[in-house]
Amino acid sequence: MRAALIGAGQIARQHLSCLQQLPGVEISAVCDLSPSVAECAAERHGVRSWYTDYRLMLSEVRPEVVHVTTPPTSHFRLTMDAMEAGAHVIVEKPASSTFDELDAMVRRANELNRSLIEDYNYLFNRAPLEILKRIESGEFGAVTHVEVLICLNILGPTGFADPNVSHPCLNLAGGAIADFLPHLASLAHRFVGPHRKAHTVWTKRSPSKLPYDEFRALVEGETATAALSFSSNSQPDAFWLRVYGERMLATANLFEKRLTFDRLRPGPKPLRPLMNGIEEGSSIRRAAVGTLMRKFTGGPGAYEGLFELLTRAYRSLDAGGVPPITKQQVLEVNRLVEALKPERNPS
Amino acid sequence: MKALVTGANGFLGRHVVAALLSRGHQVRAMVRPTARLEELHWPEVVEVFRADLRSSQNLAAAFDGVEVLIHLAAAVTGNEDDQLAAAVVGTERLLGAMAQASCKRLVLASSFSVYDWSKIPKTLDVDSPIEAGADLYERDGYSIAKSWQERVTRRFAEKHSWDLTVLRPGFIWGRDHADLAALGQKIGKIHLVIGPLTHIPMTHVENCADLFAIAASDPRARGQTFNVVDGEGERIWTFLGSHLKGIGETGIRIPIPYRLAHSLVSALYSTVFRRNTKLPQILIPCRFESRLKPLHYTNRSAREVLGWVPPLKHDECLARTYG
Repeated sequence: MRAALIGAGQIARQHLSCLQQLPGVEISAVCDLSPSVAECAAERHGVRSWYTDYRLMLSEVRPEVVHVTTPPTSHFRLTMDAMEAGAHVIVEKPASSTFDELDAMVRRANELNRSLIEDYNYLFNRAPLEILKRIESGEFGAVTHVEVLICLNILGPTGFADPNVSHPCLNLAGGAIADFLPHLASLAHRFVGPHRKAHTVWTKRSPSKLPYDEFRALVEGETATAALSFSSNSQPDAFWLRVYGERMLATANLFEKRLTFDRLRPGPKPLRPLMNGIEEGSSIRRAAVGTLMRKFTGGPGAYEGLFELLTRAYRSLDAGGVPPITKQQVLEVNRLVEALKPERNPS
Repeated sequence: MKALVTGANGFLGRHVVAALLSRGHQVRAMVRPTARLEELHWPEVVEVFRADLRSSQNLAAAFDGVEVLIHLAAAVTGNEDDQLAAAVVGTERLLGAMAQASCKRLVLASSFSVYDWSKIPKTLDVDSPIEAGADLYERDGYSIAKSWQERVTRRFAEKHSWDLTVLRPGFIWGRDHADLAALGQKIGKIHLVIGPLTHIPMTHVENCADLFAIAASDPRARGQTFNVVDGEGERIWTFLGSHLKGIGETGIRIPIPYRLAHSLVSALYSTVFRRNTKLPQILIPCRFESRLKPLHYTNRSAREVLGWVPPLKHDECLARTYG
């Protein structure tokens, strides 16, 4: 399949690294507003052509799949134009600035019979997949509650809080944290289903140009509840996923390889904490070594889920099957994202 | 002569501003919007132009009345994309603005990091091969950004028939900036000195700034590329000793032969580490070489073309750095 990318920044490099390894995928072109950045990405990843005008690229290359990896405020126009040009679209999160835009994108994708996949890469990390496997096997029991907490210092002088440049995400409701809401919402949606209600608290603890640096939400889903959080002030950096089931509790750090299970066991009840503790300690040690080793031996690291998602996406697009993320899923996740956003940013 | 200096409040930039002023030139200093300038004590004759090359819309105004651009701005910290945005996208935007102005003269601060160290056998000079093609992307983000910055600048200069001078400094050192990457690995009080007798391609910041000021105004510099080093360079072992003494630290120096360390790094890289470019810098052979390869260095071209002699001797540089 012929693939093309619009936007050649940091996340594009992860997409390109993955696409280079996928059999049957040819990266036909890459596009960026900066000619040097576009040419640099093309040279680095052995891409045949590069452009600074995405419309010209769409008409000349006629890609079958377009990856939209630009800042979120440009996603709507680029995605719509790529679909009009006949391509399936894999769009970075957040797929749009507003729910209305997202709704229009999904409707148009349905009319044109194109796939529209928003990048929920953490759903495809090893840990969530392993937890889902245990849920499907019945071993876990029904899920009763999910906690997702991202601790990430985004207050530093580069990136979102750069004092000299206005980051595009600061234009979104919720500011920089809005960039992470699709991760929180997609995990909540996967484990507790479409939401019915959501209560949120947006606050700011540290001086910076960000409108908010802390976020909490309690979500009532169709099958269970979820607590979603983002903290810029809690350290160390981590992406905690905790899934509570009727017979088991799973804890994972999606920035690392850590995944532990605390479960009901046969035998004397007083021994359960001891046995679980031994198993948990052993898992944590193994994961710590594994996390260190993957730094030395290379590979996608915390982006392992993106590689898995793109592998499944191209397989389904090639075979005409169900994509790993459906348009219905994208709609439901973004309904939750919309419910999580603050009404407005403080002026 | 009126010069526009980007990155003017940086470590090199503030010395370039001083060198230009001391030669009687006018200076417009471009600094980022939130840069704090009080501690620089610039005289009022320095015009301050606040802009960020990555985003500011009014860059063309910076060139009003300017005869020469001295482009120093780049990022030395941040991830690869931060460095590419600052050095390359910023340069594209700056030179795009220059193309609308009457200024036709440009001096670029490039770097020793653009050279292909693996292919240089003995002496690194201005005609030594530079990194290109796929091999460039095994280098660190700074080297990639500086290579692309020079490439972009040369293209602009050729397209618009500008007079370009490229200066490639080695390690720029001075007060609070003397802990050079060439000094090896520090583990607590222990310093693993790889290739202790290797010379360091170094230039004291005031010497380096002096050459920038000369290159900006001397017509003989037009169309030239100069390596900026003060001379052959101190040996790592000796300079580390001076550095430790200067900062009042006691450290234990352990010498490790360069060839032994290089062989080990190369063997591990191609076997155990499977050519993983996310490794620490010193474990990637081409980055290891760009910091530590024992070569000879020369400022021959600056000496021959401009008659340049670094104004400060090494002892004076030490005194200004640690005194």
